[in-house]
Amino acid sequence: MALTRRAVWVAAAGLVPVLLLPSVGTVVTWAALVAVLCALDVALAASPRQIAVRRRVPASVRLGTTTSSELVLTNRSRRRLRALVRDAWPPSMLVDAATGLRRTAAASTRHTVDLPAGESARVRTPLLPTRRGDRHAGEVTLRSFGPLGLAARQASLPVPGRVRVLPEFAARRHLPSRLARLREMDGRAAVQVRGEGTEFDSLREYVDGDDVRSIDWRATARRGDVVVRTWRPERDRRVVVVLDTGRTSAARIEASDGGASAGGTRIEASIEAVLLLAALADRAGDRVQVLAYDRTLRGRVAGASGPRLLPALAETLSGVEPALLETDWHGLVGQVRSRVSQRALVVLLTSLDPSAVESGLLPVIDQLTATHQVVVAAVADGEVAALRAGRDGVAEVYDAAAAARGELERAAVAAVLRQRGAEVVEALPDDLAPQLADSYLALKAAGRL
Amino acid sequence: MTADVYTTAPAGAATVGDGTTARSRAARRWRSARWTALVLACLVLTVLVLALFRPLTSNTPYAPDNPGDHGARAVAEVLSDQGVEVEHVTRVADALRATGPGTTLLVAPAPFLLPEQAEALAGAEGDVVLAGADGFLLDAATDGVLGREPQIAAPDEPVPPGCDLPVATASGPSRLAPGITAFAGGAALCWTDGAGHAVLAQVSQAIETSSGTRTVTAVDDAAFLTNEAVLDDGNAALALHLLGEHERLVWLVQDPLDVTSSLDEAAPGSALLPPWSGAVGLWALLVVLVAVVWRSRRLGRLVHENLPVVVRAAETTRGRGRLYRRSRSRGHAAAGLRAATADRLARRLGLPRSADATAVTDAAVRATGRPTHEVADLLYGPPPADDAALTTLARRLDTLESEVYRS
Repeated sequence: MALTRRAVWVAAAGLVPVLLLPSVGTVVTWAALVAVLCALDVALAASPRQIAVRRRVPASVRLGTTTSSELVLTNRSRRRLRALVRDAWPPSMLVDAATGLRRTAAASTRHTVDLPAGESARVRTPLLPTRRGDRHAGEVTLRSFGPLGLAARQASLPVPGRVRVLPEFAARRHLPSRLARLREMDGRAAVQVRGEGTEFDSLREYVDGDDVRSIDWRATARRGDVVVRTWRPERDRRVVVVLDTGRTSAARIEASDGGASAGGTRIEASIEAVLLLAALADRAGDRVQVLAYDRTLRGRVAGASGPRLLPALAETLSGVEPALLETDWHGLVGQVRSRVSQRALVVLLTSLDPSAVESGLLPVIDQLTATHQVVVAAVADGEVAALRAGRDGVAEVYDAAAAARGELERAAVAAVLRQRGAEVVEALPDDLAPQLADSYLALKAAGRL
Repeated sequence: MTADVYTTAPAGAATVGDGTTARSRAARRWRSARWTALVLACLVLTVLVLALFRPLTSNTPYAPDNPGDHGARAVAEVLSDQGVEVEHVTRVADALRATGPGTTLLVAPAPFLLPEQAEALAGAEGDVVLAGADGFLLDAATDGVLGREPQIAAPDEPVPPGCDLPVATASGPSRLAPGITAFAGGAALCWTDGAGHAVLAQVSQAIETSSGTRTVTAVDDAAFLTNEAVLDDGNAALALHLLGEHERLVWLVQDPLDVTSSLDEAAPGSALLPPWSGAVGLWALLVVLVAVVWRSRRLGRLVHENLPVVVRAAETTRGRGRLYRRSRSRGHAAAGLRAATADRLARRLGLPRSADATAVTDAAVRATGRPTHEVADLLYGPPPADDAALTTLARRLDTLESEVYRS
């Protein structure tokens, strides 16, 4: 049972009789009157347990995309239902449809319905997910008011609902330009892209501008026409992307401009980079495998390609959260070795935190670089970059000195990794995905996959 | 990422009710509330038992409900048995309200009596018996006829009354301590000692507000009331004679906290509030109660969400900066800034990572056209002397870097 504001006003209206006839008996009588009215109202209200509730929600939605949860309420009682309905969702899903504000979002989960017996109504709760992962709906609460509007019956019904929030993949805007670069690499003359891995593609007639060194004399002799060899980037290489979900991935970083992605964790930027790289490599004809690992395997996508790859990746990565554990690099190397036996491009998405790299990655990187081409991709912190430029006061200059020192240390670590044969890409959150894609294209063009 | 992630989940079966019945809900409510109910029931029972078996006695000296040695329950009981209505009050205002023509007011020894209270008591309509009263009350009640000069010891042998008041002759010889003196005529003194100190003195007065008269009787030694001494000599006769004069007896044993001195203050605080305030207060309580019930019911329970532990990555850098600052390691800070600038300049100028200080300096000099010693001092000079010098150094390094980038 619940009372309404109107019940308070009715109780307050008792001041008139109390002032006319000031005695304790008047108050007691009025209180009894209010109690009887409320009890009558509750008795006449439609039972919230006789309302059929059906929920429709999208199975999955991309982060930052507005969607909605829909409830269909059917009044199966014989009374008119006047009710307040609350469709509860976790706070990170809520948004105020009218203002777009999150602060007033709780009001947007409440709906007023007025249903005659036997009829149905549909209410819609706007949702704007701000975190990846599975979000489960709370209970649907019905507060059914009586005809006087003084009191209500209330019940919370378990109506299950789940929305899987997929990664945003904001980096997909970089994909067209990278695919164009990939196509440019196709059909180039061998001399421009000569490398041990480039593959012979086809023969075609010589046109003005072709390098004379790429003329295939034997074919020219056979056909009596000048024919050149063309090459294409190597295909069917293996790309293994390893997402480090250990403690360093939980660190909150800020984009350089403090913009939309401000306040995200390191793993969010890493996931963006994984998605862009996987999309690009898949289009380039390579076989992509993605592992998420800290001390155990948190997620793995392998064997998917073409249109099935990105949905599979999004599904898997939507549930990957940072674990507050030190990454087990020996185990990680073991995972990579057990998954691929041939030479592959191994991309490690981690951080260049000097102490973590020295104790974790450095001792084992040789095992990987011996057989594979390794790229270490790390997310830099925009806040540290901003600290480095601070000159406003003495405190800022000291912070800048600390940031500069940290940058030097990271540069030293990167240099050591490069000495061991790994490529190192370090970039601010928004730039990591395109830079990693560029570095992949460069390796491919050089035939180093 | 393709558009097919927006598939709508197949409409599941509709949910009706939450799987409870009225009986199961009542059972659940009873289960959750039964311990509270038990504790409340115990509490109510305890209060009830205490109220029912409350001791009807006190241990206040001279109180009519005190059965101890210093109490006066014996006298009060006997008076009640004889048909005297004994009213026990603890406040002067109550005593004044209860007295009137045809009553006896007994004022038990009251060491905390205020002067205005004494004046108020002196104006009581009806007979007054002052037991063990102090000089001020005696003076006020008898208009200065009687006064008090306490004697150290009670007489060893019973003293005959020595007056012809009925109460004295009925009591006979007494060993009560004398201490009342008369400053003017008109007072009957009994059991006087050699120096004129009496145990009992009686004055007849006209009542100011009406035409009748009243008697004021003072007994210096209040011991004649106590259960311990009431059977000695003629104390019982004295007490019963004095207090049983009228049908009603108002027995005042003043509460030390009592400061009332007039009829207006009969009920504390009530004079300050209008008569309807009680009803309105109760009404306000009702409104507050309804409002509390209105606000207290939540529309469904809160939905919880597990948020990840999130650490700011820049915390370590800021912490390091603060350490530099607190330990005033300007040398370390300057070295960091210089090394970073030199590193960037070397990259910008195409020098290998292994380039030494001289090579970097020479390259920077060539790029900027600045004097060699100035660039060398900037990049590899001594640590700054104070914070201001550190800030200046940082700015100058920035300038040098921008010049190299522009060239």
